[in-house]
Amino acid sequence: MIVSDIENILPKEQIKENKEQDHLLGNSGVQIIEAYSEEDISKVLAYAYENEKTVNVISGGTKRGYGGEIEKADILLSLANYKGIVEHSVGDLTMTVRPGTTLKEIADELALKGQSVALDPPWPEMATIGGIISANDSGPKRLLYGSARDLVIGLRVVYADGRVIRTGGKVVKNVAGYDMNKLFIGAMGTLGVISEITIKLRPLPKYEGLSLLHFPDGNGQPIRDFSVSLLDSMMEPVTLELLSPSLAEKLTGKSSYTLAISFEDRENAVIAQEKWVRENLPAGVELTVLHQEEAKKWWEDFRRIGPNGYNDEMNEGTTLAALKIGSNNLDVLDVLQTAELLAETHHVAMEGHGGLGHGISRVYIKGQQENTAAFIHALRGKAEEKHGYVVCTHLPFKLREAVNVWGERPTYFALLEGIKKVNDPKRILNRKRFVGGI
Amino acid sequence: MRKLMDIVGESEVLYKREDLIAYECDGYTMYKGMPRAVVFVQSTQQVSEVVKCLNKEEVPYIARGAGTGLSGGATPLGGEVIISMVKMKRMLHLDLENRKAVVEPGFINLKLTQSISDKGYYYAPDPSSQYACTIGGNVAENSGGAHCLKYGVTTNHILGLEIVLPSGEIVEIGKEGIPDQPGYDLLGLLTGSEGTLGIVTKVTVKVLKNPEGKKTVLAYFDEIDDASQAVSDIIAAGIIPAALEMMDDVAIEGVESAAYPVGHPRDIAAFLLIEVDGIVAGIDDQIEEILTVCKQNNVREVKVAKNEAERALWWANRKMGFGAMGAISPDYLVQDGVIPRTRLPEVLAKIKEIGKKYNLRIANIFHAGDGNLHPLILYDASVPGESERAAKAGSECLKVCADAGGSITGEHGVGIEKAAEMRFIFTDEEIAAQTNIREVFNPKDLLNPGKLFPQPGRCVEVKRAGQNEMQPVP
Repeated sequence: MIVSDIENILPKEQIKENKEQDHLLGNSGVQIIEAYSEEDISKVLAYAYENEKTVNVISGGTKRGYGGEIEKADILLSLANYKGIVEHSVGDLTMTVRPGTTLKEIADELALKGQSVALDPPWPEMATIGGIISANDSGPKRLLYGSARDLVIGLRVVYADGRVIRTGGKVVKNVAGYDMNKLFIGAMGTLGVISEITIKLRPLPKYEGLSLLHFPDGNGQPIRDFSVSLLDSMMEPVTLELLSPSLAEKLTGKSSYTLAISFEDRENAVIAQEKWVRENLPAGVELTVLHQEEAKKWWEDFRRIGPNGYNDEMNEGTTLAALKIGSNNLDVLDVLQTAELLAETHHVAMEGHGGLGHGISRVYIKGQQENTAAFIHALRGKAEEKHGYVVCTHLPFKLREAVNVWGERPTYFALLEGIKKVNDPKRILNRKRFVGGI
Repeated sequence: MRKLMDIVGESEVLYKREDLIAYECDGYTMYKGMPRAVVFVQSTQQVSEVVKCLNKEEVPYIARGAGTGLSGGATPLGGEVIISMVKMKRMLHLDLENRKAVVEPGFINLKLTQSISDKGYYYAPDPSSQYACTIGGNVAENSGGAHCLKYGVTTNHILGLEIVLPSGEIVEIGKEGIPDQPGYDLLGLLTGSEGTLGIVTKVTVKVLKNPEGKKTVLAYFDEIDDASQAVSDIIAAGIIPAALEMMDDVAIEGVESAAYPVGHPRDIAAFLLIEVDGIVAGIDDQIEEILTVCKQNNVREVKVAKNEAERALWWANRKMGFGAMGAISPDYLVQDGVIPRTRLPEVLAKIKEIGKKYNLRIANIFHAGDGNLHPLILYDASVPGESERAAKAGSECLKVCADAGGSITGEHGVGIEKAAEMRFIFTDEEIAAQTNIREVFNPKDLLNPGKLFPQPGRCVEVKRAGQNEMQPVP
């Protein structure tokens, strides 16, 4: 069937012309199409594929500033209203959910049965599970619970031509065929549109505690030494997240490098681990301990930092940027200290945090555009010296032209290109959103 | 042959028929094929050169580790050159502060844990064959083990890979083991690709700190349904045990007749082996809850291991379980279906029916916590027709798992054995979506051809079982 007119395949109330001027973050579309079902997604893609129309995909919009060199595609396909939990199998600790469901909606519903999705990226009220998986977003708790690649067990994906392909399954252990799930996690929607996600769950912790260790100014050696000894102990921290002084000030009122160490377990076990922290506390370090609701509240605040796609300041010149830095686990300290120094020399404001047990840091920048671009360039140089990388997870569209969002192409780029070509030969999906212009 | 010898040295190539017999199959013995030669490689460079040479000559080839695979992934269909990785067995780097180790693919799984245990660390994936199987093979199969309920399978513990592509090109993915590197997740794709996308020549793995405490419970049940219900109830109580294993009466008969008898009562329907680990202060509560759950489900007897020796015996009894079937049956076929754990009772009942239908005994030893069943179909290959019946019964067990919303393999892989059964869970279009990805890496399909995916037009009935002669390429 050749469909030349989208109005013939979807009700017209699902289609609207985009009257908006250029969006600050780009990744927009001439026509905005709302999908209410997998079938809708499939129809839109089949139409776009036939007619070689480009399609950008959006749901919560929190990652609109993440990659993308095209201001407006032909179509902006919104999944924001394709939401809801399809199945929650309590005894199997699994859930199947539609992509437009926000993480908060999922968490609230699962909590009724004492379970949760062990992902803690920022802005849970706005970020949808589809976007989180597509961007492979994560938070400090990945230290113990892993990231999306450890949790997703099955997907339904609408390929560029409208085919619906299932990957993985609904069981927690499965090696039948290639582990195709992995291809779509973090692919920024360039290989297909995820239309359903099956994910492993965890029981909600019986008890939780948060120890905040405020280190005095000076060198980072005590932070490193303490972290090494905690990691080398048999304690099981859920987070070992280091906050820059600027971020610590915002969240704790104390402007010093701060380690946020969470424990989640039976109450006895949490208390025993907090005792270990107290007994091994380096000299001069101030300790704050929060439990249960207080600890939860602190993490809720933590998850409301950084840009979310809607809180950019529109004044000329100043810009918000977010960076994800990957490094060796213990180099996180170095990453944050380097970022702090570079922020000073490049005249930008910086807040940052990173996990000393998992190697992912986040740095948020506010400043003049040219300073921001120079800062990113300098930080990337430093990170790469130690085999790390810098990816820009949020930048205004205009700045994305000046800064390479993903860094240099990997040496095996031909494989990535080959995979893209197999799944989306006409390159209609989120064109130029990913590494090397894929 | 000459060219291969020029690359690796004369002594490193086997080509005489009597030398090749040991490479006719892996741990899946129902299907055998003769390789053309076996080449022992010692470096990444050699792998690359060998691959380039075979590529040029258009000779198919297979990478092989210890050959402990259970689905025929390393078994030649006939005429392949086997590239043996067993001589690439060094640990290249250990960085405990950053929790990682770099090993060559021939490094043995258990040796990894042994070489870091003095410092209190271990490598989590623990397949039952861990005393022999290699890390490279584990990557190819995405191996699991008894403790993956809490700690995940191989893919959750791989941080980086060096691979030789079928073009001979050497590629490093996940440099330095740093997570989330920009680009599609090739680490995830390669892990479990059963040696069809590239040959792994270096592996960066995550290592873990030993848990502070560990307790192990053994619970005997008179009814299999009660044992199954206890499994679901433990999970529903918010406990994630490190391991939650089950064995039924036929399996108990086997393990009690073999090398590590525990003295399990012979008249019970099933036992559960449950291990909880973590912070010592939190373990006793969990053990109490587990005991309560077992009692609520009519357990006959439940006990906690008194010491490490008792715990080790229980585990030896379990881990040698497959081999133990040799004590009560001349031959056995291991299956590897997965189901949602809440459907254990009905699926186990159906497997029992399959046994009756084919007049074969089926033992069940499995990872109940993650619903990963291992029906062991006992048969005698010397009885005409029995091998075929066993293969059919095995396939039917997988169909039952697939129909219950599960999978045809949880950790043993598809290989030759379950290629046809891929159709139980995937449509032709979905299989094509996967083979299209294979073409990106392995365009000529010279690397481990004929594995993992059903051949067009080939169906279950074509599968030959129990023949010891060389098989034609199907």
